[in-house]
Amino acid sequence: MNTRTQTQSAIAMLAPATGLLAVFIVVPMLLTIWLSFQSWSTQTGFDTARFIGVKNFIDLFSNSSIGRDFKAALVNTAVYTGLSVVFILPLSVLFGLLVHQKLAPGGIALRTILFSTYMVPMIAIALVFSKLYSPTEGPLNQILGWIGIPAQSWLSAPQTALGSIVVLNVWQQVGYFTVLAVAGLTQIPDTLYEAAKIDGANPLQRFFTITLPLLGNTLLFSSVIAVINAVQVFEPVALITQGGPVNATNVLTYHIRRVGIERAQGGLGSAMAVTLMLSLIVAISALFAFARARSRGRA
Amino acid sequence: MQLLRSFARAAGTAAILLSTTALVQAADVSFLTHWGPDTVAKLEAAAAAYTKDHPDTKITVRAVPFGDLLTTLRSSGGGADGATIAGIYDAWLPDLSKDKLVAPVPDAIAADTKANWPAGVVSAASIGGTLYGIPNEIDVYALNYNKKLFAAAGIADAPKTWDEFLADAEKLTDKSKGQQGFGMINSWAAGVLHPFASLLVSNGGDLVVDGKPTLDSKQATETFDLYEKLIKSGYSDPQMATADANTTGPFLDSFVSGKTGMIIMANWWESALKAGMGDAFADVATAPIPVGPSGDKARSISYSWMTVVNAKASTDEQQAAWDFLNWLNGPTSGPNGASAMGDILMSMGILPSRTSDGAAFKDKLDSDAFLKGYTETLANAKGFPVVLGGQEFSESLQKTLEAIQFGQLSAADAQKTAQSDATEILTRAAQ
Repeated sequence: MNTRTQTQSAIAMLAPATGLLAVFIVVPMLLTIWLSFQSWSTQTGFDTARFIGVKNFIDLFSNSSIGRDFKAALVNTAVYTGLSVVFILPLSVLFGLLVHQKLAPGGIALRTILFSTYMVPMIAIALVFSKLYSPTEGPLNQILGWIGIPAQSWLSAPQTALGSIVVLNVWQQVGYFTVLAVAGLTQIPDTLYEAAKIDGANPLQRFFTITLPLLGNTLLFSSVIAVINAVQVFEPVALITQGGPVNATNVLTYHIRRVGIERAQGGLGSAMAVTLMLSLIVAISALFAFARARSRGRA
Repeated sequence: MQLLRSFARAAGTAAILLSTTALVQAADVSFLTHWGPDTVAKLEAAAAAYTKDHPDTKITVRAVPFGDLLTTLRSSGGGADGATIAGIYDAWLPDLSKDKLVAPVPDAIAADTKANWPAGVVSAASIGGTLYGIPNEIDVYALNYNKKLFAAAGIADAPKTWDEFLADAEKLTDKSKGQQGFGMINSWAAGVLHPFASLLVSNGGDLVVDGKPTLDSKQATETFDLYEKLIKSGYSDPQMATADANTTGPFLDSFVSGKTGMIIMANWWESALKAGMGDAFADVATAPIPVGPSGDKARSISYSWMTVVNAKASTDEQQAAWDFLNWLNGPTSGPNGASAMGDILMSMGILPSRTSDGAAFKDKLDSDAFLKGYTETLANAKGFPVVLGGQEFSESLQKTLEAIQFGQLSAADAQKTAQSDATEILTRAAQ
């Protein structure tokens, strides 16, 4: 078989898969990018789209109500993502160590309990948490009251609403990331710990010199997944806060839905989606760059 | 030859069967609403009564929460396979009609509607003189107050002016009991906006005049100041104000549990109050909106709902939908000369807008003290502006009013922001 025939065979075999990818992933992405330069109502055909250059993007970063709302949603999304990752990753490692240790029984039971939160549908979590957070009748404030802590505003004030949604997200997701951490921990050979023990390393030293560096790849993967999950947050906002109060929980996905579907401003919504996609690419690239820099530093 | 004859006979039979099927083909009509299960059951019963005499029409009802209604309509309702009929809020009509999602009412039904509904309600269902929906409910805002809390605070009557309103709010506020004088709403656009708009019009002002926002008026300045006073003095606690479009949340909890002295709300929430308060509902009274320093009489905001038909549905479906709606809103479908729609609305404590329904339910309306307070207010109510970009305008003003509630903006800055954002939004939407 000559090279040309081989190439043709490869193309023929790859065509179905790449064709499907193109139709269902690449085409919608390109369409979104094209729409971001148009003025278009989502209720009308693509033929009604009118090219307006980069006006949608200028509006997004202007001081108009469009720009202020978008920038606030972008900041809310960034804060939500940052806080989620900052809490989920250390907690997942901590719980992973608890589950993975062999000193006390109950590791599997703990792993099951932790992972079960990930399987609960968001609608059920939203119903429970919205009642837990109720400022006057919620159990959380009642419990705080028993130990002398004043009632918190939770979802009822702009200062605390986004943080309350982060708590909900951490509660739901930490089990999944714990499983990932446990998978990483099982890859670390016991001989390394034994050697470190012989050298006189205490548990803390063993954690920082063996566990954490060798969990690097797992943590990088977890970070990427946690960032992607957090950026796509929609359900708790739609189900509990509707973006309020004072747009404090108005994250980008919810805002894009409001602009693109509810108000039918398809061009503007597409420009927001493109900006979100670019922001996500930058954030993920930064994570990989950080990981590469650390590997080089260690080498 | 035998085979050919058999084939010809089979083809002939198939042709006859197919043509007969086409003649009796049922029109599938789907009805999208935000009503709760009990009300949906009443609508389904009415649809069943209609289909008994119209076996060719099949009617199904689909309900979504109010907060998802517009999105559902936008995302799936506008296609040929979307809902044939949808109940919509009048403020959404200009945008839906601009995108050609709603069909004009057929001439005969339009003439009947114009003859049997108040002109203001017909106008709210029309764009450029073309009627797009059959109006059904009308909602108006009034002051609701807790008589028990009023008596405990030594207040004899409901406040008639803003000075009395502030004085009563002060007397009703007791932080040691977690009690607020006046309950504002946040996290729900209409819930935030309508009480503010009611106070504004009762102070002689308007939100929008001739398509232009008038939030820079003296009357608006006084209304923004009133909000700031209520918050700064602690007569209204924003943390007791969270609500969603189904009225659940701390806003409802605080009022039904006797922690809020006064609120401004619409008639439709009577059923929510009854469900939440039980026997204590007897403590609730209704009064006109207090008159502001620049107002001449107690006024309020009203808005209406209507049923529209999907412009992309097939001709048969549209025809069947209009016929059903004409019957549903007509004087023969309900009890004692009322429409079935009027009967459904009254079951929720909602005022039907058809003139003959007002007469048919007069006794019931007169004997319901809660609703009577609203029907008396209706005569001096101003319609909520029906303009292009109305939803975005509402959400923008909601955000600004919430910023006052949480001390993020002063009254003066909020007014400036509200006017400038509203101008930008309405100008852009009108292009």
